[in-house]
Amino acid sequence: MSKKPTAGPALHKVIMVGSGGVGKSALTLQFMYDEFVEDYEPTKADSYRKKVVLDGEEVQIDILDTAGQEDYAAIRDNYFRSGEGFLCVFSITDDESFQATQEFREQILRVKNDESIPFLLVGNKCDLNDKRKVPLNECQVRAQQWSVPYVETSAKTRENVDKVFFDLMREIRSRKTEDSKATSGRAKDRCKKRRLKCTLL
Amino acid sequence: MAPQPVVTGLSPKEGPPGTRVIIRGEFLGCRAQDLIGLKICGSDCLLSAEWKSPNKIIARTGPAKGKGDIIVTTISGGVGTSTVQFRAYHETIGPLKESAVWIEESPSQNFAWGRRTLTQSGLTQEDPLGLSIEGNEQKIPEDLRDLFPDACGDLSQENFSPAWFLLENHLATSFEDLKAGLSYLKRKVESQKEGQLSFLKSNAGSVIDQLDTLMNIRDKFQEDVKLYGKEPFQVLEQSIENSISESQKIFNDVLVRKEKADSTRSVLFALSRHKFLFCLPNSVDRRAKAGEYDIVVNDYSRAKNLFGKTELAIFRQVLEEVDQRILLIRRQLHEKVVKMPQSVEQQKKLIKALTSLEMQQSGTAIGDRLRNTDPAWDAIEARAKYLESTFRQTFDQYATKDAATQEKAKSRDPNQPPNRVNFCEELCDIAASQLPDLWRLGQLYFTGELRGPHDPKPGDFKRMVLTAIEKFCIYLRLTILIAADQRALRQSSGLSWPIGSSSATHHFLPWIPQCLRYTRIAYATLIGLDLPSDALDIIQKLIDEVRLFCFSIIFKRATDRCKKLGAQETWETTVEDYPGATQLPAALEALLVETLEEVQTVCMQPEVREGNLLEPHSDGQREVTQRLQELLSTFSGVIAELAYPSHDDETPTHNVSQLLGFPNAQQPESVSGGGGGSGGGAALNWEQRMLCCLANYAYCNKSFFAHIGDIFVRHGYPLPTLAIETARYNANQLFTNLLEEYVEHKGDPLVGTIEPSMYLGRFQWDHEMEIGLGQLRPYAHECLDNLVGVYSEIYSISPALLRPILESIVQTISEELARLMSCVQHFSYTGAIQAHVDIRLLRDGLENYANETAKNYFMEALEAISPPLNGEQKRKADEILERVKRNMRLQLLCFAVKEP
Repeated sequence: MSKKPTAGPALHKVIMVGSGGVGKSALTLQFMYDEFVEDYEPTKADSYRKKVVLDGEEVQIDILDTAGQEDYAAIRDNYFRSGEGFLCVFSITDDESFQATQEFREQILRVKNDESIPFLLVGNKCDLNDKRKVPLNECQVRAQQWSVPYVETSAKTRENVDKVFFDLMREIRSRKTEDSKATSGRAKDRCKKRRLKCTLL
Repeated sequence: MAPQPVVTGLSPKEGPPGTRVIIRGEFLGCRAQDLIGLKICGSDCLLSAEWKSPNKIIARTGPAKGKGDIIVTTISGGVGTSTVQFRAYHETIGPLKESAVWIEESPSQNFAWGRRTLTQSGLTQEDPLGLSIEGNEQKIPEDLRDLFPDACGDLSQENFSPAWFLLENHLATSFEDLKAGLSYLKRKVESQKEGQLSFLKSNAGSVIDQLDTLMNIRDKFQEDVKLYGKEPFQVLEQSIENSISESQKIFNDVLVRKEKADSTRSVLFALSRHKFLFCLPNSVDRRAKAGEYDIVVNDYSRAKNLFGKTELAIFRQVLEEVDQRILLIRRQLHEKVVKMPQSVEQQKKLIKALTSLEMQQSGTAIGDRLRNTDPAWDAIEARAKYLESTFRQTFDQYATKDAATQEKAKSRDPNQPPNRVNFCEELCDIAASQLPDLWRLGQLYFTGELRGPHDPKPGDFKRMVLTAIEKFCIYLRLTILIAADQRALRQSSGLSWPIGSSSATHHFLPWIPQCLRYTRIAYATLIGLDLPSDALDIIQKLIDEVRLFCFSIIFKRATDRCKKLGAQETWETTVEDYPGATQLPAALEALLVETLEEVQTVCMQPEVREGNLLEPHSDGQREVTQRLQELLSTFSGVIAELAYPSHDDETPTHNVSQLLGFPNAQQPESVSGGGGGSGGGAALNWEQRMLCCLANYAYCNKSFFAHIGDIFVRHGYPLPTLAIETARYNANQLFTNLLEEYVEHKGDPLVGTIEPSMYLGRFQWDHEMEIGLGQLRPYAHECLDNLVGVYSEIYSISPALLRPILESIVQTISEELARLMSCVQHFSYTGAIQAHVDIRLLRDGLENYANETAKNYFMEALEAISPPLNGEQKRKADEILERVKRNMRLQLLCFAVKEP
């Protein structure tokens, strides 16, 4: 039953995080199926996986679309553990969602225990610029603070949608090659190594 | 073949059985029917699958457990693959957890087997740690199988992995609790270890029971082996298989029955649901029979709307049948539309129904089979035809009836209107009722209310109306205008009213005003219709003709009555204008006024949209003149009739000479009744009547006819100069004739007596006679006296007649005298004197009434005395003349008055 691809295209596991209603699922569906879903239906935990060509190389992207609602906060840890890269999404029309990114960042760092985990700060709904509540420079300041890229997207117009996913995958890829250079051990050992390294830090 | 389906997205990716999952991917079927399989974690979920698009299916998960692929199967793409997986888990639901499923909390009992409930292993297994597992969210991020590939979380399995168990069941249990659980487990194990014996002890009874049972089972088994051989399972298997197939058979039967019942029910349901359609063919027929065409139209359009585009064979079949029936109904309707008689409203209704039915059927195959070009137009034509045939029929009916009655009996009730009148009335009624209907229908047609998708034909309609009206007029003309020349009419129409006896015709004439009235009523109705003026003109022409005819009939009747005026003559000479004229002209005047008034009310007064009959140089004028002339000449004739003695009259007392018949008696006739002034009524003798008539003529000529002209003018007629002049001329003629008659009558005896009286008693002029004191010879005396008699007679009636009458009489007297004197060869001395005296007396006495001719004759008579008188004779004669004149002063006096 298990479908762990041993040989085949590389699999990059991406996790969408962010408050409820910022457009995680919308971004995901736009990326996956080029469709924009107007009606809002809170997500619990959705899973998507498809083949893409990343810089001429065929890879698989696995997207875990998580629930933004606080109700599911307890189970996030489990999910985050499996993630290799994170898209932390907020809505530029909702300051609260921007503030919440701080918590998500902290939780991720806690679970992954890795400061340099592939991570993109994504300001969604940039098509609603006239309703903007979060100033651009504030976002950029925060991204700089975390030393992560900041990208503004629109799931509706598909602006920068592919860019964020591909950028993240590139980071994950480069990160993986880095890791495999550093240690030629198994993934578990790698984790231990890293954890060890983190504790050292 | 399309690419095989690939599932690439799941929302959510885990959940308990019954979770609604949105499945996304590619080539998930090109339509709903294309999707033929859906498995989530090995459980078939096709039933709940809802195909949205080739990229999206929504389904509910089945009762599977664990992680598994989502396999979509389509016709076009075959069995698919999945890049994502769904994790199914069971939720343990206890009293503290919210759940949408009702949980039976009391231990469930299995009644079927009557055994004590066995503890269901696994699911309701007590936690070995003695901890509640409730409240542990079973959200495990990764498949445990990934973590522990060779392990299992089942306590009863060999490859049991405690880690798995803990992760699965105690994910959220705190470390302290787990420690407590561990000690609990240890205790339990300890107790079991040391307590094996005590357990047996305490449960010895049940152990023995178990042993017994085992023994029993063994015995039974051995018995079975004996019975069925070493393989009892085969028998068991067979019987199980038998029972399966048996049950399947039964069940199949039931299923088949159920299927049948279901299909029957659904058919019944469909039937009752579409009862409307299935009943439609019959209901349409029924409605059509009942004449409720509106309902038919509505039902039909409803059916067309509901089922017009249906593809179901049964519906199509029924609909086709309905179409057929509708076609029939349309045929019937069309027949009904053109069937007469019926009201316009009815016809309108039918036409509307027909048109809408036709509209609904037009364009379809069935509609093409019957194409009524234009029902409204057909209706109009039918109506026109019917109108014509009604006219014809009525005409024939009455004509034959008339012919029959004419043959039968001549003695009919004169108050009973003749058939012609009845026909006229009915015809007018028909025209007044049906023509408006026709017109109204036409209006409706042309305003488009009844018209189908066809172009109107205004020319045809107008022609139709005109023809109908013309026909109407022709019939009326044939009926009413019996005096007119109908030959041309008969030839053109091919119709003729049976020629009746003259009495029937005579009987009909007074009814003509009645006919005129009927016609006028019909005409008034038609005027109200806003018909084209040339149509109305046709009737107007007829009416004008009838009016004129009426006029002439009334005048003819007046003429007839005038003929009888003679009987009314009272001989009362009370006319002031003209002494001697009687009441006769007054009677005529009364008659005329009466007639004129009747004419005025009956026909002359023009009603709405009728012509003036009295236009100059018109037929009307001519007719008036002619009729008046006729009337007046009749009147003259009446006077003439009165004037001349008829056989009934008493034998006229001829004024023969008294000297001859009664030689010695001088009848004092000269004073009888004379000077009385007024005639003695019926006692008047015919000579006096003659005088009255003369006076009437003169009166007519002088003033009465002119007066009649005034009456005409007063009634709004132009002065009938021509008629009056003719009548006057006529009257004058008659007057002259009558005068001659009278003069002859009076003068002849008078003159005729002169000669016999002269030679009475063998008198001869050449004998000497006794002159003495001198007096007139009796003949002269008698002549004079007779003349006085005539004079008095005339004077008593009309002094104005004296001169014309007396003049001619005097002329004849003088002529006679001249003749007599010239016949005498020789006068004696005294004879000459006497003759001279006689002649001169007559001459002098009648000087006022002697014209030139008379004077010449007198002169001639005097000159005829030969030898002429000498002086002495003359003196003697003068002397005698003086004396005679004195003696006859009275007689001479009446002639001396110049203008009496």
